[in-house]
Amino acid sequence: MPKLSRREFLQALAAGMGAVIADQFLVACGQKETPLQAPLPTTSLASASQTGTPQPTPTPDASETAPGPEPTDLPTSTPQPAPDLVVARHGEPQMLVQQALAPFGGLAAFVPTGANVVIKPNICVGYHTYEYAATTNPWVVGALVKLAFGAGAASVRVMDNPFGGLPEAAYAKSGIKDQVEAAGGEMVVMSNLKFVEVELPNPLSLKRTRIYDDILKADVVINVPIAKHHNLAGLTLGMKNLLGAIHQRSPLHARLGENLTDLATLIRPALTVIDAVRVLRKHGPTGGDLRDVDQLDTLIVSPDIVAADSYAASLFDTQPMDLSYIQAGVQAGLGRADLENLHIEEIDLA
Amino acid sequence: MPERRKPARRPKNRWVLARKTLQTLALAAFLTLFVAAGRAGWGQELAPLVMRIDPLAVLAHLLSSRIFLAGSALALIPVLLGLMAGRAWCGWLCPLGTLLDVFSLSGWRQALQGSAVNERQAQWDALRSLKYGLLLTTLFAAFLGNLTLLIFDPLTLLLRSLTASLWPMLDQVLTALEMALYRLPLLSEPVAQFDAWIRPRLLPAEPLYYRAAWLFAAVFLGIILLNLLAPRFWCRYVCPLGALMGLLAKFSLLRRRVTSDCKTCTLCTRACPTGAIDPTKGYASDPGECTLCLDCLEACPRDATRFTPRLPEITWHSYDPGRREALAAIGAGIAALALLRSDALSKREHPYALRPPGARENNLLEKCLRCGACMRACPTSALQPSLAESGVEGLWTPVLIPRLGYCDYACNACGQICPVEAIPALDLADKRQQVIGKAYLDQDRCLAWSDHVDCIVCEEMCPLPEKAISLSEEPVPGEQRTILLPHVDRQACIGCGICEYKCPLNGQAAIRIYVPEAQVAL
Repeated sequence: MPKLSRREFLQALAAGMGAVIADQFLVACGQKETPLQAPLPTTSLASASQTGTPQPTPTPDASETAPGPEPTDLPTSTPQPAPDLVVARHGEPQMLVQQALAPFGGLAAFVPTGANVVIKPNICVGYHTYEYAATTNPWVVGALVKLAFGAGAASVRVMDNPFGGLPEAAYAKSGIKDQVEAAGGEMVVMSNLKFVEVELPNPLSLKRTRIYDDILKADVVINVPIAKHHNLAGLTLGMKNLLGAIHQRSPLHARLGENLTDLATLIRPALTVIDAVRVLRKHGPTGGDLRDVDQLDTLIVSPDIVAADSYAASLFDTQPMDLSYIQAGVQAGLGRADLENLHIEEIDLA
Repeated sequence: MPERRKPARRPKNRWVLARKTLQTLALAAFLTLFVAAGRAGWGQELAPLVMRIDPLAVLAHLLSSRIFLAGSALALIPVLLGLMAGRAWCGWLCPLGTLLDVFSLSGWRQALQGSAVNERQAQWDALRSLKYGLLLTTLFAAFLGNLTLLIFDPLTLLLRSLTASLWPMLDQVLTALEMALYRLPLLSEPVAQFDAWIRPRLLPAEPLYYRAAWLFAAVFLGIILLNLLAPRFWCRYVCPLGALMGLLAKFSLLRRRVTSDCKTCTLCTRACPTGAIDPTKGYASDPGECTLCLDCLEACPRDATRFTPRLPEITWHSYDPGRREALAAIGAGIAALALLRSDALSKREHPYALRPPGARENNLLEKCLRCGACMRACPTSALQPSLAESGVEGLWTPVLIPRLGYCDYACNACGQICPVEAIPALDLADKRQQVIGKAYLDQDRCLAWSDHVDCIVCEEMCPLPEKAISLSEEPVPGEQRTILLPHVDRQACIGCGICEYKCPLNGQAAIRIYVPEAQVAL
């Protein structure tokens, strides 16, 4: 390597810095684009419906890292109108995922070939294992990763932004890291670098915020909350789970319903999968006492985030419209809460 | 531009080459352990070794706590090394010594003092006793249960400077660079990949902040700048660990010897970085000052300098400690302690002197080495160097500052990394029981209580399974709505501080952690 003199080094450094600074101005000028345009909500994204036959159920509690059976999309040729929402009950988590997706035609109905998929579970703290129902069931997330690859996804990244503890520690503690990596997915620690300032078009309340670039740019976002108690929100479900995509979330607690509606409109997850395998009925969102946990072995799947949240509310004997964000979401046309008018398919695997 | 720098001089002597190689390796190992200590795993398991190998820290801790930790037997290695090869520790291993060699500032020093300067600087010889005085006072104060002076231990000093200023500075520079480059469309992907690789592997995912970070940088810079006065000024005149090794060196076997081939050319005197070679004594050197760097060996044109093992012949110099210095150290120690005991903090504890989990009950002050390992391991940088909270006596001991970070309910790293169990090594279940402090709510500032704003952040964040913060639903006066008001269950609260950390108010939080109980006699 030729030796640089100090002067040559400084010249090169100055040129480099100059280029970077100049580019900052150019980039800043170029950023006067129109704000992000969100497409209108649709509640019938699913194409032809398909049904599947059950496979032997895994036993996730036997060993935390035991690989379950391969979840697969099971295509059949029976055409049926796609449901608005599917509830699957009484099965092992992986089977619940597989069976609940079947009426939509499998995850392929939401994940096009070559898509970059982001899955957003709820990993709010790194304090407890999944049995405490503070974090999403790892086998639910693992099955979704597997199915997304089965549908031809180019990449599947799983991420959340815990408010208590370090992300990498929380990922491991929740058991989600093991399941995601076993399924070939990537567990991503969210980087400060990628929280980009976004101006929301026609917001109810949230005019601008810093939101995670990968979630904004993903082809498909799958929202996988766990259903649990939360004193201010009432319950934390699909819409509230999206707070993890935000850099500074505490300002959003005032006018929570409107803010969450704006956020859901911006992120627009293709699918919301509510994990109610175990639900936390008290002392949420952090939990820590097994007496507060109920095992319901239930999974709710819908492309309509408001409908999914509304159905999940019924598991807690809560009227959907009593939850501020469901009310705001319905009023803004984000989704529907009139469960009686929705096409709901209930599957019992018992 | 004229060539000002001399071409890099390759050591002619293979022993000098070996010394420089070992110095580099030791510094690299020290830095590797420092970096790795920032993350759970092998780094945090091995990090305690650094302080346990430091004989000054181990001896002072032993005198003060009257506890001998098995792991501290490591410190016998440098002691044995000292008995065999004197201050070779200083010349061959000490990371601060190596940094002082790297940043020797010799060019500037010569420009300031003129090239004719005799680096022996005999007129400053009296100053050499400063380090012995510091050593004796440190040890005597330790005997009385005070470890404040360990802030002058070179390893604690370097670790603290790295933790609280140099490493966060590097992180800030790199972050700014990443941010700038990430905005360039072509570079954003590689920058993101670099960032994903380096965080949290080497650098923290979230930036770390330390109080008075400038102070640590200033102390470090000051020690480097002392090189302008004399090469390795710190090692010659100040370093108490160097003094300890210097006392051992009185008995060391491997010594410098000048043969009759010496033609008194003074080259060795000029080469010696610690000015240990005395032309008035036939170019003999004081083993208590010689770091065995072997620069004299290389400088000698006539091969008249030898390092050979010999039975020690103990000589005392004017600056060596004697009865007078020992008495002065005892006096200084007693006076300083009396002064510290007269401080108001001795009567009434500082209300925010929150200690790491389990450390308060463990008499932290008489065990803590001030090495800052706990602050390095704390993932939220909740552990901060104490400034006002424990006065001069507890300067730079760890305190938890909830407004800067909280004690992670799933973390017990500080107790695991503490090299002397000043913070007890509790398992996670035990650590969760430790009362760091107690939360008190300021209803005048609380958004919910005072302004009727829907905010339950403190309750939401409370990590306890039963929650130490409960909410009551109350009607809002004059309005058709209710509000949830937080209440603290003081019995249950462990003072982890996440409520104070996350409180959305600007400035002081509306909920604050105070020391758990009043320590004043009523």
